[in-house]
Amino acid sequence: MDGLISFANSVAAILTSWSAIDVIWATLLGIIVGMLPGLTATLGVALLTTLTFKMEADQAILILICMYVGAIYGGSRSAILLNIPGTPANAATALDGFPLARAGKAGTAMAIATTGSVFGGMIGMIALAVIAPVLAEFALSFGAFEFFWLAVFGVLISGQLTSLDDPVKGWVAGFLGLFIATIGQEGIYAVPRFSYGSTDLSGGIGLLPAMVGAFGLAEILTVMRHEVYEAVRAKTDSVWTGIKESYKYKFTALRSGLIGTLMGLIPGVGEDMGSWASYAAARQSSKNKEEFGKGSVEGLLAAETGNNAAVPGALIPVLTLAVPGSAPAAVLLAAMIIHGIRPGPLIMIESPGFVYSVVAMVFLATIAMGVLGLLLTRPLVLVLKVTRERLMPIIFVLCTVGAFAIASRTFDVWVMLFFGVFGFILRELKYPMAPLILGIVLGDILDKSLRRGLVLSDGDLSQFFNRPISMVLWMSALLFIVLTMPSIRQFLGGFLKRKREGGVS
Amino acid sequence: MSSPAMNKADFISSIILTLFGIGIIIESLRLPRLENLNINAYTVPGIVPGFLGLFLTIAGLFIFIRSIRRGGYKLSISSGQMTGWLGSAMVKRTAITIAITMAYAILLFPNVPFWLATPLFIFVFVVATEAMKYGRLPDPVRLLTALVLAIVAGLVINYVFQDLFFVRLPGG
Repeated sequence: MDGLISFANSVAAILTSWSAIDVIWATLLGIIVGMLPGLTATLGVALLTTLTFKMEADQAILILICMYVGAIYGGSRSAILLNIPGTPANAATALDGFPLARAGKAGTAMAIATTGSVFGGMIGMIALAVIAPVLAEFALSFGAFEFFWLAVFGVLISGQLTSLDDPVKGWVAGFLGLFIATIGQEGIYAVPRFSYGSTDLSGGIGLLPAMVGAFGLAEILTVMRHEVYEAVRAKTDSVWTGIKESYKYKFTALRSGLIGTLMGLIPGVGEDMGSWASYAAARQSSKNKEEFGKGSVEGLLAAETGNNAAVPGALIPVLTLAVPGSAPAAVLLAAMIIHGIRPGPLIMIESPGFVYSVVAMVFLATIAMGVLGLLLTRPLVLVLKVTRERLMPIIFVLCTVGAFAIASRTFDVWVMLFFGVFGFILRELKYPMAPLILGIVLGDILDKSLRRGLVLSDGDLSQFFNRPISMVLWMSALLFIVLTMPSIRQFLGGFLKRKREGGVS
Repeated sequence: MSSPAMNKADFISSIILTLFGIGIIIESLRLPRLENLNINAYTVPGIVPGFLGLFLTIAGLFIFIRSIRRGGYKLSISSGQMTGWLGSAMVKRTAITIAITMAYAILLFPNVPFWLATPLFIFVFVVATEAMKYGRLPDPVRLLTALVLAIVAGLVINYVFQDLFFVRLPGG
């Protein structure tokens, strides 16, 4: 009940101040950023962090959450109209959204995406309000051993799920991120590692410049590498048909919302998998499987519900464990720390109101996203007319200035450039970016937790395995990794099929 | 990237990854052990990076062996193929993008005043990439709009960061 009152107070406080204007412009900007191929939610949140770090904490976090929610939704527009997902989270949206647009149902498709996104956002928001306080209390019993496993398996699961065809590459990306985090002075004895006398390097690699590079410059290079895109010139039909169509699949939406939230909750997995997993589950249980990929309303609804549900889902571990659920959530985590908020197990003790403020922010951003998305269907299509040749140089200037602005250091510009080119090469070689970023965030936790754990146990490794919560963490993560291995999945699939056929005969 | 091309790329990148992993292990072993401070041996600064280096080496070797089994070691790159690849529009676009962005961030941004460096960069980027797209220099109208875009964007970004957010930009 206290939570509900805090939530209502936060909503009222935002709506009765200038912050209401912030909700509108930041969500709209998010939608535009999401729509433009080459601009992802991560980059949008990272660039806006550099622009808002002189603001009050609440105002800055509100703007960043609106950007995050708007961008994940905005990506559906380009997926539907261009067949190019505006953000990686909208890849599954393109499968059914684009065929619908080509069939002259662009308006319907956009309305389905909007309905799904709003519904997904609301399910995720309820989960955030319910799970975050409980998880924070549970996490109070976490010690060095538990945080060590959380870091290791966060990176492993993220690597596994973002590179399902080749998990080793996902793990390598994650461990590279963990290594990058060890550059600079370490946290126990302040010994500089891998700095080679450079004062800049001994300060460590900043997360924000690295992310601006990996998601900004790398994306610019990827966009410029490909051929030009062209929007579908379909007449937009009524959006109301789409809302009515969506209602028919309310159970699909509910399931997708829950799957999306769960994918958001798992460290470093986020919206992309939220969307794919919801899409796969919808296809599996649909009566019209053959329509999937050819303009299925159910498929489009599942994908868009799943990715927006993952947004509040990804905020749950940010607030309660200081572990990001997705790449944009990693930037939000960094932004919260910059603004003096200390996310982690103590959040419900130190600032209980903040969790419900975040719930209120997600609520208002989701409402704004739905209203703006439906009202501005036609004007927003104009955004897609901006050519990449004219947009990308401006984005690059923002990346450069953004990287520099964080600490007024030219070194951060070099970091951005390095991660841009390095990220581009890694992407081309099919190494995912999300585990790399998660590794950079979790590196410090892993380093300190392992060394403290070894001191506490006096070198006895068994204590890492036999403490109750540690045991649950490593066993569930191991089981998860084994079950999602391509070879094991194939084997289990074949086994179940044989068993079913045997049962029928 | 097609599957055979990916196997070749994996072959080369796995060698780099393995060497990198070995390098991390060696450098981790060389980190101070702080014996003079009489610290607990389990907290030496090199322990975590050492393990990470070991993992990267193992993963690198795994990808290396896998790429060999998939035939990735048969690089067989002829000079004709190489010239064709280097001359493709895709590689040219990427190379020009890298060259112009690097020139801006490394040379212009730290050394030339922002109000001058940024419009110059935006204008050159637009003209160069549009020239590649159309196969000739853009027409005067496009050149003019590119110039206006460059000046307006430069001034607006300069105003937002320098005057609204008080970021002192380099380059004087």
